[in-house]
Amino acid sequence: MKIGSMLGEIIRSVFRKPATVKYPFGARQAVPDRLRGVIQYDAEKCTGCMLCMKDCPSNAIEIIAVDKPNKRFIMRLHVDRCTYCAQCVVNCRFKCISMSNTEWERAALTREPFTVYYGRDEDVKKFLEQTASGVSQEQP
Amino acid sequence: MPGLQKEKFIVPIGPQHPALKEPAHFEFTVDGETVTSASVRFGYVHRGIEKGTENRNWAQAMYLLERICGICSHVHSTTFALGVEKLAKVPAPPRAQAIRQILLELERIHSHMLWVGVAAHEAGFETLFMYSWRDRETVMDILETFSGNRVNYSANVLGGVKYDLGPAQTDSIKRGLDYLEERLHYYMKIVNSDESFLRRTRGVGMMTTAQAEELGAIGPTARASNVARDLRVDSPYLLYEQFPVTIVLGSTGDLQTRFVVRIQELFESIRVIRELVNHIPGGDLTVRFPRRIPEGEVVMRTEAPRGGLFYFIKSGGGENPVRVKVRTPSLRNFMSVLVGSVGHQLADVPMILSGIDPCFSCNDRMIVVRREPGKETAS
Amino acid sequence: MSMEIEILLKMLVFPGGLTLIALGLLYEYIDRKLMARFQNRIGPRFLQPLADAVKLLAKEEVVPQGVIPIFFVSLPILALAGALTAGLYVPMAGFAPAFSLPGDLIIVIFLLGLLTLSIGLAGANTADRFSILGATRTLTQLFSYEAPFLLALLCPAILADTWQIDMVHQSVLGRVWLALPLFIGFFVAVIGLMGKLELAPFDAPEAESEIVAGALTEYSGRGLALFRLGKNVELVVGLTLIAAFYLGGLANPLEFLLKTLGLLVVVAALQALFARLRIDQTVGMWWRIGALLALAQLLIVVILKGVIL
Repeated sequence: MKIGSMLGEIIRSVFRKPATVKYPFGARQAVPDRLRGVIQYDAEKCTGCMLCMKDCPSNAIEIIAVDKPNKRFIMRLHVDRCTYCAQCVVNCRFKCISMSNTEWERAALTREPFTVYYGRDEDVKKFLEQTASGVSQEQP
Repeated sequence: MPGLQKEKFIVPIGPQHPALKEPAHFEFTVDGETVTSASVRFGYVHRGIEKGTENRNWAQAMYLLERICGICSHVHSTTFALGVEKLAKVPAPPRAQAIRQILLELERIHSHMLWVGVAAHEAGFETLFMYSWRDRETVMDILETFSGNRVNYSANVLGGVKYDLGPAQTDSIKRGLDYLEERLHYYMKIVNSDESFLRRTRGVGMMTTAQAEELGAIGPTARASNVARDLRVDSPYLLYEQFPVTIVLGSTGDLQTRFVVRIQELFESIRVIRELVNHIPGGDLTVRFPRRIPEGEVVMRTEAPRGGLFYFIKSGGGENPVRVKVRTPSLRNFMSVLVGSVGHQLADVPMILSGIDPCFSCNDRMIVVRREPGKETAS
Repeated sequence: MSMEIEILLKMLVFPGGLTLIALGLLYEYIDRKLMARFQNRIGPRFLQPLADAVKLLAKEEVVPQGVIPIFFVSLPILALAGALTAGLYVPMAGFAPAFSLPGDLIIVIFLLGLLTLSIGLAGANTADRFSILGATRTLTQLFSYEAPFLLALLCPAILADTWQIDMVHQSVLGRVWLALPLFIGFFVAVIGLMGKLELAPFDAPEAESEIVAGALTEYSGRGLALFRLGKNVELVVGLTLIAAFYLGGLANPLEFLLKTLGLLVVVAALQALFARLRIDQTVGMWWRIGALLALAQLLIVVILKGVIL
């Protein structure tokens, strides 16, 4: 039965460093090793089993076969749809999907940065050219 | 004056109201400052999650169900995973079970500390609110070290867990729990001794054991009214048989007792987590899990931070669930708010409401109201 | 002619008007910052109160349906005017009051009460349910703390044998702090000021978790800014009055700052320490404890005075 029983605590708080973190100013807080950031994809190891795509709860992953017989795949990742659940990382038997723990600040003013292509450079370029020309062919 | 009839003065709270940043609509009829009757309406954010699971495969459904509640997310995915594993007859390995249990108890700490802050805020005790939320960061950091996410940890997969308990995690859990235990002892002292706070909690929202039984209360709300009901003890799942918790009971059923019961439960949680961390079984984290689940139905019950959580899962033998039905604990506690607030001051109503630790996003699934002559039941 | 200019300057620039408003914003900042530090937060930036006020003043004022527009618009002005006028009769910043006349203590207390009354009327004027509940609570609270607060301020006045603020102030200057022998009165006066300003734990009239913003729920823009400025000014005037009476007077600006800020630290700590009182608890506490304490103090003062003289 006390009145103002938090007195000691509030006085101590005045001389304590405030708990507020002035993000994004000042020193960054260290992030844990296991932090789940943006998905990374290693096209060299991919066999195109599409299990990541099948189990993605938010349809964020698209694995596109550029040249199927030669196992050339690229990934189109919709970062804005990803829920960072890491189901794809678990599903991948060849460890070609991982999650970055450095890349996690993804705020942007336009939609473009939210569609990311992974894969061998020439494959991505080929795919982008194909889609671009595909669009132009449709127009009379 | 014969023509002057006493008008009903109704104070609406919600769905947009600073007192209640949640989508529900309450109507409190007041006489001066005293509440004379109360009613509630839900359903402003029906998200169709149960139906949504039917179009997803088992793994996807788990992540969707995890998002039923933002605070107790792990308990939803664990309950679903346990149910599906029971259906498939492929239990997760013991080490995975232990990790699930550690996360469940960490989640309870996170949820109850959040509640202490919210309830203190409703009582206008901003300082306690700020402190308890500051200290809650500790458990969020533990969870982040463990899984990489602060909420919606997505640590489960069907047939196991994703993340192992490594030395870094053990270390952060041990250090974090030591700090939290000390702080919780302090909060326990505050809620039991601070006169101005006791004036707002003692004798408010009283619910007797008989009332709690009759209104179907559940979780810490019921346990504060001396109803010994805890699924961790009554029907143990995971490793609750080897690492049991003791039921924390309160006798008076007022808000102060609910504070005491909830904080006391956290000491239990801390003890169980420590035991688990020290005696964690070895072995694999996952087992191979089939994509198609054999036909059948299963009921899975677990103890969420707010009370018993109920899942009914039906499989048709395919890759998708045929029907998933969820009954969240908050739904069973709302009747106690409506009954409990009558006769109290309007100023106490936010306290009584937050006293059950309501989770509104949990409630907005289908509610069937059956009207029979003379009685109304909501299910 | 120069006389009129001097009066105008006194009213608009110093010690009234702009000075009071600036001091009010400064004190609001210090109060908020202290609260934040007590709660282990960072708190607002220095210009935040000013930015709030400017932003609100620049915003459109929405006059809701169902109000009497003239009252809706004029009550905030009345509230701020009352608080500002009260500032002219107290020894602001350690200087002699701008105006002084016998019995001005009663005028100041009435003027300080005008703010609360305006808030209550403003709430009753709008048709919103939260406003009406808030107005009821505001006025209920007004009747509970006003008497003890007045009695607590009367004690030094009775000792000085005058009801003129300046004379009371002169009589305590350089003497032992009245807060020491008359600690009950000092205590009641500080708590009374907190009640007057609806600071926690007496913030039931604007309890955000129950009735949104209380009587001022429907106010936005200019009206809200004026009410808030009025409260800030009243905080300064109240602190000055208590410091002048109970803390050994305010001989110079430095003493003024030190004493009023010291009081503000106490007020901020009290705000951080308590849970909100329910309106029935507030009223009960004031009449059962506050009024009795104030009466007892008054009795002690009267008896002491009779014995000594």
